[in-house]
Amino acid sequence: MKKVTKLRFTVLAAAITTTFVLGCVGQATAGGIPPLASLDTLDVPIPPDNKQSPAKVELGKILFFDPRIGGDASTGCSTCHEPDQGWAWSEDFSRGYPGTVHWRNSQTIINSAFYPRQFWAGSASSNEKQAKSAATGGVAGNGESDIMEARLALIPDYVTRFKDVFGTEWPLITDVWLAISAFERTMNTLGKHEAPLDKYLKGDKSALNEQQIKGKALFEGKAGCIQCHNGALVTDSDYHNIGVPPNKRWEEDGLAQITFRFEQYAKGQTQEGYRKAKSDWGFYYRSKNKWDRGKFRTPSLRYAAYTAPYMHNGVFMSLEEVVDFYNVGGKDEEGRTTLFPENMDKRIKPLGLNDDEKEALVAFIESMSGPEITMKKPTMPPYAPLFTKAQLQAAQEAK
Amino acid sequence: MRAINNWLEKCTNKYDQSAGIYINFLRTEVLFKEFLKSRNTKTKVKTELGGNPMGVRVVTGRSILAAIMGLGVAFSAQAGKYPDIGPLPQLKINKAKAELGKRLFFDKRLSGDAAISCATCHDPKSGYAHPDALSPGYPGNGHFRNAQTVVNAAHKKVWNHDGRIGTNLNDMTREMLTEDYIMNMDMRIMQERVKQDPVYVKMFKDAGYGEPSNGSVRKAIPEYLQTLTSRNSLFDKGKMSASAKKGMALFKGKGGCIQCHNGPLLTDQKAHNTGVAENFDIFLDPNNHQAFIAFTMFQGVPDYMNLKRDPGYYNVTLLKQDIGKFITPQLRELKYTAPYMHNGMIKTLADVVEFYNQGGGKDSRKDSALKPLDLSKAEKKDLLAFLNALSGDQLTSDEHVWKGKYPAEYEVIADWNNVKN
Repeated sequence: MKKVTKLRFTVLAAAITTTFVLGCVGQATAGGIPPLASLDTLDVPIPPDNKQSPAKVELGKILFFDPRIGGDASTGCSTCHEPDQGWAWSEDFSRGYPGTVHWRNSQTIINSAFYPRQFWAGSASSNEKQAKSAATGGVAGNGESDIMEARLALIPDYVTRFKDVFGTEWPLITDVWLAISAFERTMNTLGKHEAPLDKYLKGDKSALNEQQIKGKALFEGKAGCIQCHNGALVTDSDYHNIGVPPNKRWEEDGLAQITFRFEQYAKGQTQEGYRKAKSDWGFYYRSKNKWDRGKFRTPSLRYAAYTAPYMHNGVFMSLEEVVDFYNVGGKDEEGRTTLFPENMDKRIKPLGLNDDEKEALVAFIESMSGPEITMKKPTMPPYAPLFTKAQLQAAQEAK
Repeated sequence: MRAINNWLEKCTNKYDQSAGIYINFLRTEVLFKEFLKSRNTKTKVKTELGGNPMGVRVVTGRSILAAIMGLGVAFSAQAGKYPDIGPLPQLKINKAKAELGKRLFFDKRLSGDAAISCATCHDPKSGYAHPDALSPGYPGNGHFRNAQTVVNAAHKKVWNHDGRIGTNLNDMTREMLTEDYIMNMDMRIMQERVKQDPVYVKMFKDAGYGEPSNGSVRKAIPEYLQTLTSRNSLFDKGKMSASAKKGMALFKGKGGCIQCHNGPLLTDQKAHNTGVAENFDIFLDPNNHQAFIAFTMFQGVPDYMNLKRDPGYYNVTLLKQDIGKFITPQLRELKYTAPYMHNGMIKTLADVVEFYNQGGGKDSRKDSALKPLDLSKAEKKDLLAFLNALSGDQLTSDEHVWKGKYPAEYEVIADWNNVKN
């Protein structure tokens, strides 16, 4: 606690100083920005109404992989958050429910417990809410609470585990979200999955090579990445329009066009907005302010080595492409940019990085990923009938 | 009395339009009957008309309504007459709308994971029903009731085995499309899928619906369902065999079938308990049981986890006397729609006849109208002949079945950046 208070004070002091020093200059580039820090300077936030326990985490782990937590029992959380694909999905758009495709890139669950909000526009304020939203969303899990809850009651192993963990006679769907979140809170890059950067920041100067150290200087200096990718989470958890162009799949793929319009519809667009939208309006769907069009939550760069492609719509297949994009001031290789340039963050400017510098920056970003987090998928507990034939016969007799 | 019946008719028409009001009427009617029983005033209702014949204290508008409805029921029972069986009325059909509805009915893209269409469970080859005792349901789960034929559905006033939809086919269509254990379709996605198909865009326009919308999907499918009307049955054509004619006499007389199976559809569209045995597969197969649990949970049935039987009409009223009641099914197209009963427990029509010959099944709440019939072998055969004469042509030609191909992939909307969504 002491540490946090002290840190806050430092930040505040730095912010005041910055205001004085750079006030007239405009955007701050140095002071006021939380420095990069090792992840273990933070504790995993545990909500008071969902305490961790080994049994709950184990239950959440099984549920995370269970395809019966979804509409047609073929899609579970792990379907789009695949351990072998960085606990994300390695296509531009998340794969979506059968018969659909999603419209945003699947984000990794690794370290997600640290973020104040989930999803690209921050529409969920907790892992619990994210889990429910993903499992029930039309182009994600498309499951409905009643049938998913009914399934759990017919899986004896779950009945026992839920009773043990939550004390209910039958599993409740709301407890599914709690258990999955408890599992996700253990899925982070602390301990043995620590990134080289963390080791470096804690004093092991050999953890980064020369190129990466050069990249760090660029990250914090010339390239200005630190302005948004800062602190222990390497994100300011805020929303910015950085100029990401629309995904071309919306021009070329009928299935993607369907989802695109569905999302406008489902997210409460105006009639006019529904008709004219040709890109994801991002944070606008929550705020309904026109200046928020095209803004998305800054993602962490931790574990990014495993989670390609990048950006909210997965338009960049590699970190090199991402760096190229920033280097030219928020444009892709064809010069395409956001459809809302008026909302573009003023700090996005051509960086003038040469090839060596770009490589160094990529190398540094890669140092934010430690060993890959792998997991053997748990065996799914089977269904069993709730009643015996004899019980049913007795009930029949008593009719 | 005619005035009352006319008024009652008006009420009926009124409740056709609104589920809420309908349910109220339904419950009021039941409650009123109970009230009559408890006051032992049934005889009075039958014999007196003037003043306040029932000794009902009129408190609210609703109880007046209840009284009149009760009267209507009592009088029609007293008369001992049932709406006559006969041909179905012709329905006016908008061809363009019906054609659109037909394409939608057979289109798998109208289910959540695009794996099943309406026709998956309402298969033309099986008389628009399904040959399994229990309907297949949505992928990932099963079902707990037999898929009913949708032939003549447009002539009904009440749908589903438990009568939970009593408004119109528009609502019924929505129910089937969106219910998670049936088609699990988010209708917003459905709308956008339909809009992505140029064939639909043209068909909706030609049908006068304008741009495709989920609202017009729910109009077009009912329009198509109107085309699924029985035709050319030997009964309707007046060409029944001598045996079938004898069977019809038994149907109206000794067999007593007419008590519930009356009117052009041969159903009173009311709920009765005939004591059909439970289908244990609902409970022994977790795929079916999960759909059953989800359904009873959603309906607000108490203690749904411990149910070992389908509570039927009780789902609608939550009144104990309605446990095990199911809406009388129509008797048209039976030839194609085996197996029978709400849970498919009876495999053949001959078995159904035998079931009633023995006075129905076993249930403490069984309808008192059911008594052993003591039909001879020949009489049973005649009755069967009559039932078979109620089935018309199989509606399996292009006229009723969409046989065109659906695109394997959604067409891309060209020049996407410059056209309005």
